[in-house]
Amino acid sequence: MSALIVISVLAVAVLYLGIFSNKNVLAPVTILGLVAATALLASGWYIPHDLLHGMLDFDRTATAFSMGMAVVAMLVFAFGPDYYARKQWHVAEQYALMLFSLVGGLLLASWTNLLMLFLGIEVLSIPLYVLAGGKKRSLRSSEASLKYFLLGSFATAFLLMGITLLYGLTGSFDMGVLGTFMAAQAAPNMMLNFGLFFVLAGMAFKVGAVPLHFWKPDVYQGAPTLVTTFMATVVLMAAIVGLHRFIDVTGMPQSLAATMALLVLATLLVGNLLALRQTNFKRLMAYSSVSHSGFLLLALLANADTVGSTLLYYTFTYALATVGLFILFTIAKRANNGAEHLGIFKGLFAANPVMALCALALLLSLAGIPLTAGFVAKYQVFLLAIGAGWLKVMAFGVLMALVGIYYYVMVARELFLPAEQPVTFTVAPLNGLVITLCTIAVLALGLWPAWLI
Amino acid sequence: MLYLFYLLAAVSIIAAVVVVAARSPINSVIALVVCFLSIAGHYVLLNAQFLAMVHVIVYTGAILVLMLFVIMLLNMNATVEQRKPLAVRLMAVVTGGMMLLVLLAATRQGLALPAPEAFNPGIGLVRNIGMSLFQDFLVPFEVSSVLFLSAMAGAMMLAKKDGTEDVNLPPSSEPRDKAA
Repeated sequence: MSALIVISVLAVAVLYLGIFSNKNVLAPVTILGLVAATALLASGWYIPHDLLHGMLDFDRTATAFSMGMAVVAMLVFAFGPDYYARKQWHVAEQYALMLFSLVGGLLLASWTNLLMLFLGIEVLSIPLYVLAGGKKRSLRSSEASLKYFLLGSFATAFLLMGITLLYGLTGSFDMGVLGTFMAAQAAPNMMLNFGLFFVLAGMAFKVGAVPLHFWKPDVYQGAPTLVTTFMATVVLMAAIVGLHRFIDVTGMPQSLAATMALLVLATLLVGNLLALRQTNFKRLMAYSSVSHSGFLLLALLANADTVGSTLLYYTFTYALATVGLFILFTIAKRANNGAEHLGIFKGLFAANPVMALCALALLLSLAGIPLTAGFVAKYQVFLLAIGAGWLKVMAFGVLMALVGIYYYVMVARELFLPAEQPVTFTVAPLNGLVITLCTIAVLALGLWPAWLI
Repeated sequence: MLYLFYLLAAVSIIAAVVVVAARSPINSVIALVVCFLSIAGHYVLLNAQFLAMVHVIVYTGAILVLMLFVIMLLNMNATVEQRKPLAVRLMAVVTGGMMLLVLLAATRQGLALPAPEAFNPGIGLVRNIGMSLFQDFLVPFEVSSVLFLSAMAGAMMLAKKDGTEDVNLPPSSEPRDKAA
């Protein structure tokens, strides 16, 4: 709770810093504030659950996920000074909006009341609708913003419908009341099933599960790259932990499990197969993120006691790899006059072997090759699925993970090909540091996963 | 009291039908005002004065005036109704009829709804709403202030003129909007 207040106040302070139009102070202030928030979270000093009238509960899962989101947000903000170097206007607002969105992420990590789930989703999304349209002169950016806004409002309507049905049944927004109500439920209850289904649908939109994934490629492509990085990492972590808290309480009844299994199969299939056909790097990352949400939903489907730590490990290592790759993408995009196809990585190994090897390690981690964190993450998910008896779904997941290796290796191949015309890759020192940090973290967590699990 | 309810219900239903059936957008919006006002009357009958006032101020006052502004600015007061093709109208009738069938079937069967709770006449009073808003729901109340602040900051960011081209955009990759 104290971290929540610190981040909210920090966002307002950053808004005020915008008056002085000195954008060099913005990133250091933001990162220092987030360090303070993380330290407060780590100290375990928090306001008891009862004092908040059962609205938020910063238990172990919530604290760990909040710290993870804050750390990833720091890495994203460390990319900020270079990304906004040539931008004069509204830089403070962009930082502040991302901080507001992070507040929503913390709410989603700790909610225990359906009202807070709704508010968390909204606080997370509304700044993103604006941020996606951050490049005002770009038609694609405006399209991304409008599309995300309209579809997001639609998903929120689903979520609200579900919350209303659950409230109508139990007479309370509290998740504890819902849990006892569901435990006492013997026969299938249509109204309960519809309520669960609609809440799941609303959350599945934020995660990007397949029937509700259409916004992802367009929004990822249209939004400014820094915002895309934020969306692919912090927002995915927040949506997953929010869904995890919901499913944890419901205890996964039969009807919900069947829907979830269908969702997992469709997400894995469509995400991986469509990723094979992408030529734009940002769209490729969007479909890759769809397929990763498929694996995350598979872990949620198992719903064992240890699912929280697996989800944290998976999303955190995925986020590290994604932040590093998007920074590398921006470097390569600038070197190639703003092109976004996969060929922009050509010649990176010849020009800058260290960065190319970092990119290789990050890509292999996303693909799930052993010795990287991505492998341990997928392995954990499959173990959970076996433990819960979802053998067929697990086997399909393994098959799709193998398909997924193909498109990551396609990108990795480009790194080592010679460039068609001479290109110069300029790596700012801070960016190089962030990329190296991400790579070391991904490799270290792959070798010694016990640090996080 | 009961007759008042019937009167208000009749007014809101007739007004709602006029909203859909009116040819001119202006008439439609004005019928919507009447509809909302009669719904506010229902709230008063349920002893929810605060909700009634908020309903009148927010919906009737702010949102509908905004809609009227838009209609007048766009100069849409002439009837601009195109004739839809026969196939489209036929499809609309069929889908609407199927929806009606489903609704009828559902109400005939009867959903297993829990018994309604006893009506508490004091629940809509300003005092009681304030008590629950600032005690049980204090955290969501404060969080929604963060939500509105971020929405305001975002609206300012999108609406303010900045006078510079976005330099992160490559010059040739996509068409520029010259008018903007």
